[in-house]
Amino acid sequence: MAGLIDDYVARLRRDLDFDPSLAGRMADEVESHLWEAAEADPAWPLPEAQRRAVERFGLAREFAGQFAVDAVNRQAKRTWGALLATLVVTFIAMRLRVIWLGEVGDTLSTLAPLIDRYAFVAAITLGTIGWLAFRCSVVTLALCLSALAASIVAGIVRADLFVEGAPLHVLLAAAGEIALIGLLSFHVVSLGRRLRRTASLRRIS
Amino acid sequence: MLKGHLDAIVLAALEGGPAHGYAIIEAIKRRSGSTFDLPEGTVYPALHRLEQAGLLASTWMTPPSGRKRRVYSLTRSGTAALADRRRAWSRFSQAVETLLKGGHTWPA
Repeated sequence: MAGLIDDYVARLRRDLDFDPSLAGRMADEVESHLWEAAEADPAWPLPEAQRRAVERFGLAREFAGQFAVDAVNRQAKRTWGALLATLVVTFIAMRLRVIWLGEVGDTLSTLAPLIDRYAFVAAITLGTIGWLAFRCSVVTLALCLSALAASIVAGIVRADLFVEGAPLHVLLAAAGEIALIGLLSFHVVSLGRRLRRTASLRRIS
Repeated sequence: MLKGHLDAIVLAALEGGPAHGYAIIEAIKRRSGSTFDLPEGTVYPALHRLEQAGLLASTWMTPPSGRKRRVYSLTRSGTAALADRRRAWSRFSQAVETLLKGGHTWPA
């Protein structure tokens, strides 16, 4: 019984695991609240005081569920922001490659330029559909991410950057594309994790 | 009905000065004559939401005699938001009161 508040806080930390920084902050804050409530209870220091404090606070899952939807919305905003930045940088990098290749001549296969162009168009289309229709759809985002990755890989292969010795601005733009794809992948995975957690909290509470 | 006004109630509870979550809940209970005996877990999401919106600021403090607490205070935007919500509530409550008073008849 001595650990009733500790057990509750540990449970809360688990239920808020979709957002580790929020989980740490709320667990500390709720723990402080529960001890204060228990100490103010007429039954203190009996274990009954802790039980009543926890009971008045409500179920940990319900508490976590109130944060889950906000967490999904915040993560969706971050993800779509990263997607927009990736699209812009990819477009600029693609144009830089085309301009540079125009100067040195395209000696590579005919397939890569087509993949570069149409994968980018597909990414924009999927991104737009996702933005308008399914703001939190991980499937649309993942498809868009795959199309962008295909566009970037094809573009880099086409430009044969590392063999031909491309100028610095072309290399930097390509590096920016790769970094943003990494960031976008991280955000898509985080969004997926938050969506799954929110769904499970809503199912149970 | 209370849920829709929880943000304004929390802002109003902090008008008197900074306070931590437990004190805010107690103040709401006391000032409403125990009419608003909120489930305690509902206030923290509101505090967090208001802080995210820039209407509240918070910081950890440890009083000399006690446990570490996160203390919330109204920001300048929070004070302005509270004034807006007061005006909106005043209009709304006047309208509802007029409607509920009754005694009106339809024109013949």
